[in-house]
Amino acid sequence: MASNEKLLEIKNLKQYFNIGKPNEVKAVDGISFDIFKGETLGLVGESGCGKSTTGRTIIRLYDATDGEVIFNGVDVHGKKKKQELKEFNRKMQMIFQDPQASLNPRMKVSDIIAEGIDIHGLAKTKEERMNRVVELLETVGLNKEHANRYPHEFSGGQRQRIGIARALAVEPEFIIADEPISALDVSIQAQVVNLMKKLQKEKGLTYLFIAHDLSMVKYISDRIGVMYFGKLVELAPADELYNNPIHPYTQSLLSAIPLPDPNYERNRKRKSYNPKVHNYSEGDNVQFREIKPGHFVQCSEKEYEQYKAQYK
Amino acid sequence: MTKILEVNDLHISFHTFSGEVQAIRGVNFDLNKGETLAIVGESGSGKSVTSKAIMRLLPESNSDIKNGEILFEGKDLTKLSDKNMQKVRGKDISMIFQDPMTSLNPTMTVGKQIIEPIVKHQKLSKAAAKKRAIEILELVGIANPEERFKQYPHQFSGGMRQRVVIAIALACNPKVLIADEPTTALDVTIQAQILELMKDLQKKIDTSIIFITHDLGVVANVADRVAVMYGGKIVEIGTVDEVFYNPQHPYTWGLISSMPTLDTEDEELYAIPGTPPNLLHPPKGDAFAPRNEYAMKIDLEEQPPMFKVSDTHYAATWLLHPDAPKVEPPPAVQRRQRQFLDIKEGK
Repeated sequence: MASNEKLLEIKNLKQYFNIGKPNEVKAVDGISFDIFKGETLGLVGESGCGKSTTGRTIIRLYDATDGEVIFNGVDVHGKKKKQELKEFNRKMQMIFQDPQASLNPRMKVSDIIAEGIDIHGLAKTKEERMNRVVELLETVGLNKEHANRYPHEFSGGQRQRIGIARALAVEPEFIIADEPISALDVSIQAQVVNLMKKLQKEKGLTYLFIAHDLSMVKYISDRIGVMYFGKLVELAPADELYNNPIHPYTQSLLSAIPLPDPNYERNRKRKSYNPKVHNYSEGDNVQFREIKPGHFVQCSEKEYEQYKAQYK
Repeated sequence: MTKILEVNDLHISFHTFSGEVQAIRGVNFDLNKGETLAIVGESGSGKSVTSKAIMRLLPESNSDIKNGEILFEGKDLTKLSDKNMQKVRGKDISMIFQDPMTSLNPTMTVGKQIIEPIVKHQKLSKAAAKKRAIEILELVGIANPEERFKQYPHQFSGGMRQRVVIAIALACNPKVLIADEPTTALDVTIQAQILELMKDLQKKIDTSIIFITHDLGVVANVADRVAVMYGGKIVEIGTVDEVFYNPQHPYTWGLISSMPTLDTEDEELYAIPGTPPNLLHPPKGDAFAPRNEYAMKIDLEEQPPMFKVSDTHYAATWLLHPDAPKVEPPPAVQRRQRQFLDIKEGK
């Protein structure tokens, strides 16, 4: 379960693309949050809100424009020797959305999974390497016959399991899962989610779970962050966020999710969000504030008072 | 209620290098006037093939309608000549595709693409067609329709593009609209807007909709009736309340329990074990039997017929046979069945 020990601190992280050009994009625009050891932090938002970019910047697939990502006390984006970078890459791994595109079609499953083992020299002999691959395959619910096959011989759910096995191969502490179940069928989604939960319990993993399926996110996450246009607008424990959404965008997002319950659907009232409702004026100090212990909302000072008052 | 479309005992196979894939193995359903029928199922269950067969969009080179008929206002669509089919397609029956990025022509202005079916089917002049196109653009909620009319698809966002696709589909006031995962590629907030738009338009022009999706949340939102497909067959069909609150087929139980609702607290999600059947070698008995924890011996040997649950509700599972033992559905389904009784009493 989640402890109070911070595994990851993200401070004012910014990721801009095409800097200085007319088409500059502020994909991630100054977000700060912590991830505690052993927890699952869900990150939700619409496409283009910067949630995947956040994940990719944290793992240093992109170099951050500004801000810090502190992992176990060390800045990820700081200057690093090759050796240090390698060590870091071992601790943090990623599972990608598209199980078709994220596995090299010309490599055997055993080589895909063992790539990390080879790079980090985790297996001394060929035999040890193969044993490790088989062990990993079994961990994710596949078996050793699968080791010599190629990715195209697998279904989407199985391929996603291979992606998980590859991430686990180097014994990471922290896994970023970027929409790991979005491309899978409903009946297979539950299998993968159960597997991820089981692995978390057994290995004490910490997850950043990026998704747009809000009911699945609520199920798997301890805390959830909501992003809108490059900013984190609300962050709270999962139940808290669903029961007491404060930011108008979160409310609108929650009201838009269709639930598999016809009776609820008939009575659903959708709220729409218009950023103008905030009516921020020039000097307003809009920042991420804690409304209640553990519940953060992006707001101005005036809204802060207002939110606190309505919060009982 | 009048039936507008009837599908009877439809069998479709694809010829591939590895052999004959029996994608559809005996599908029966009716579509009533003005209703929305949702077809749900996993990829490969045959829901898109069914819809493409209705539109006659399956490639003739490798697909084969082996048996069955698709009756639209008494005409069997499977027997129409290509020329006659063209008169139906886009006019009486039209389709909205999943991906708004690829279903529009990037080299044609949006306006031209909307005019195309109007000129073809309604024989209007260019000017009149343009007027009509602008009206439809306005109807589907696109601001500045005159300006937008002249623009190309890349100048539209994903949600706006899907509105354009809907505009094209509705241009000739079709009697049947087939929507094949129309919102899967869209964000939840945009999805909610598109679903509202479709429901609204359905009321205005009184179309019947076949809505294909794998998202049960969307089904609960739009559907009047639901058909659940598995392994090329409909395994359960009923009104939306019947299928969601009183499901009978173990596959429907699995589908419903594997989706967490917002108050699911269970330690582990219910997951249907295994993978869907390979229709290259379709199983002899119930296609779901190998993944079904409630399977009986007969499930492996003989395909269950459709058993009647109520006048509107049918399911193909041997569990409904009078001689079958009583089984306990998963807890999530039992909770729903209690809810079903409440709803019934409430009415």
